[in-house]
Amino acid sequence: MITIDGLTFQYKNSTQNALQDIHLTIEDGDFLGIIGESGAGKTTLIRALNGIIPHHFPGDYYGSVKIDGQDTFDVTPSALSLKVGTVFQDIDSQMISSVVEDEILFGLENFSIPREEIESRLSGALEAVGIPQLRYRNIAHLSGGQKQKVAIAAIIALRPKILLLDEPTSELDPQSSLVFFRLLKELNESYGMTVIVVEQKIMLLSEFARKLVVMKNGRIIQNGAVREVLQKTAELRNSGINCPRVVTLANRLMELGVQLEGICVTVDEAETMARRLMYD
Amino acid sequence: MIDLKNVCFTYQKESTVKDISFHIGKGEFVAIIGSNGAGKTTLSKLLNGILKPCSGTVSIMGMDTKKTKTSILARHIGFLFQNPDRQICKNTVADEIRFGLEQILKDKSLIQQRLDNVIAYFGFDPAANPFRLSRGERQKLALASVIAAEPEVLVLDEPTTGLDYSECMQIMNIIRQLNEKGITVVMVCHDMEVVLDFARRVLVLSEGRLIADGETREIFRQEEVLRRASILPPQITQLALRLGEGFEQVFTVEEMARNLLARTRPQYIGTVRRETA
Amino acid sequence: MKGFLEYAPGNSFFHRLNPLTKLLLSLLISIAAFISDSLLFIVALVALNLVLAASSGIFIRGVMLLKGLAKFSMLIFILQLLLVRRGNVLVLLPLNLAITDAGLFSAVLIVLRLIAGTMPLALMLSITQMNDLSNVLVMKCKVPYKYAFAFTTAIRFIPIFADEMAGIIEAQTSRGVEMDTRNIFKKVGLILPLCVPLLITSVKKIEDSAISAEIRGFHLRSAKSCYKRYPLKLDDLLVLVTAALLAGLAFLV
Repeated sequence: MITIDGLTFQYKNSTQNALQDIHLTIEDGDFLGIIGESGAGKTTLIRALNGIIPHHFPGDYYGSVKIDGQDTFDVTPSALSLKVGTVFQDIDSQMISSVVEDEILFGLENFSIPREEIESRLSGALEAVGIPQLRYRNIAHLSGGQKQKVAIAAIIALRPKILLLDEPTSELDPQSSLVFFRLLKELNESYGMTVIVVEQKIMLLSEFARKLVVMKNGRIIQNGAVREVLQKTAELRNSGINCPRVVTLANRLMELGVQLEGICVTVDEAETMARRLMYD
Repeated sequence: MIDLKNVCFTYQKESTVKDISFHIGKGEFVAIIGSNGAGKTTLSKLLNGILKPCSGTVSIMGMDTKKTKTSILARHIGFLFQNPDRQICKNTVADEIRFGLEQILKDKSLIQQRLDNVIAYFGFDPAANPFRLSRGERQKLALASVIAAEPEVLVLDEPTTGLDYSECMQIMNIIRQLNEKGITVVMVCHDMEVVLDFARRVLVLSEGRLIADGETREIFRQEEVLRRASILPPQITQLALRLGEGFEQVFTVEEMARNLLARTRPQYIGTVRRETA
Repeated sequence: MKGFLEYAPGNSFFHRLNPLTKLLLSLLISIAAFISDSLLFIVALVALNLVLAASSGIFIRGVMLLKGLAKFSMLIFILQLLLVRRGNVLVLLPLNLAITDAGLFSAVLIVLRLIAGTMPLALMLSITQMNDLSNVLVMKCKVPYKYAFAFTTAIRFIPIFADEMAGIIEAQTSRGVEMDTRNIFKKVGLILPLCVPLLITSVKKIEDSAISAEIRGFHLRSAKSCYKRYPLKLDDLLVLVTAALLAGLAFLV
């Protein structure tokens, strides 16, 4: 479980707080989406969760981030990575090696995982992500979507409970992004991993995340179940967030006087809703 | 304006563009869509001469790209790349725009005039350091630099990558305004909502071939074409396609809402919900 | 350029050798080339390089390497030809320059040495995975992991930066910068629009890489961390002995 309590942070050479009084609790097994305009503090929040802040980026740090009771301030990022794995936006820079197998071995070797366990973890990670056939391939020859899967495999080989992702699909096309999110869903449901993903693609978050956090100017301004948060379309628009069109549709229908049971967040739900309205 | 005849382009033994022909007239706003690897970016680069066709001709305003220097073409065709950081090389906004202008104009007073115009239009601080701006601001700067050259044609490669919603809308609205002033816009885009909102015509690519060419709304209704190109239409269109009869002309939220309202059974119509702040 | 140092997968005899063996083999051939004074011997070494390349399945790459190195050493050839004055004059040139037989010999020698000496290392990199080489250097040669890692990362980034550079050239060409100018002064002016974006991106990528390595336990690593093992087999010993003999032969010939 992650508990963020009164977290305020200002980068060293900055004049304003990147994060302002953040209070957030994330339960085990949550699938949380974080959305907000550029500069809202999303990446800073991810860095606070994996220990990069304060250990790699010094600054003024108030409050605390505790992961299973352990304060990230007191532990090195290396030690944290057995609990928290991070996938970054820049696909190429986060790779360490030229070959997929070596990429996954890197973390396993560093953490002195016992030799007998390494092979099963390696092949297990590749299986979980669906890329066992890429084991001996050169990373530079893979597509963007495949590379991101390799990044995830390298992380889950270490078996962290929490997976952090900072705009992982920003360089991917829509199909690869969808495939990627389906993988996240499977990791969340079948393996029980807590998934925390920063994204601009609201459609993907609406479909896959269960909770949504909206950030603006370093603060959390919305926090709750996806449907609840998306319902407040006008407020979201003021914070520079777009809603999926089907959500806007549902809100518009309600404005026009139609009684809906709730908003629809995917096209499937919208279809079900429309048929009910017209034919039931 | 833009004429492609039987254009083929091959890169490393893999044919990326096969036998493409189309014509784009002045003032059009065209989107090029297709799945990853379909050849969209290659096609966009063929349009401004960075890539020369292996066979066939690309002519822009009568100039054959194979026979004209890229630096000459740059005066007429502005290209906005996905990543503005590959272009930005100066310490201030003004210097950056001036640098671009110096490549194609000699007259210092004309350069200054264009510089001032574009800075005023975009609302930049001329002394700002580009590297301290946000991604959206840098993309706007790259666009400003391109626009200052007053090209007749603007080619954009995924202009909304990495931008948040408001940055995306800002850039697209500026592009729409430029189009309304007469600049021909060709945009490679994989966000179908943006394509629906801004482009009037769509070229669909699949495996290097042009498989459809038509008005945006018409193309989005052609399920088979989109499936071949592995494209999902915008959400409202998807819904309209599924609901079938009676929804053929529905593309926007408002159109869908009105249409559904008209067909909703009375028991679901109640008092109007007002959204509280 | 990109393909030269890239690993060419294969299962040949040489592919399967221990990375250390391959490194020593290429170093010994290189040394042999620089020790020997016999043109014939060095030409034989070049031929040997090509044979080794062929048996590893990278003959074409070997030939291209040869061509590239030959082109590259043209300048050195010409300089050496003109600068060495001793011996008998073969051709008299204006400006008091002359081509002598000693000059011709030393020019050919230098070029051949360059080719025969560089080829083995480049070929070795084509049939050895960077990681394996790095692991072996850390485990057997006690090279500190940080240095080996820095080296392999640098090599790995070469194609990434090459791509960035290509993208930058495209971007600048599109705004009218004449990238293909022959004017020297203009070429100098090109450095800024090329280097600034490249530097900015490079620094960011490198920092991101460092952060990524750090959170995956980079600092916890020791010389014993490596999972893979690289045993020395009979094949390795045979090759090493042969290579040593070759180097010895170079002294004599």
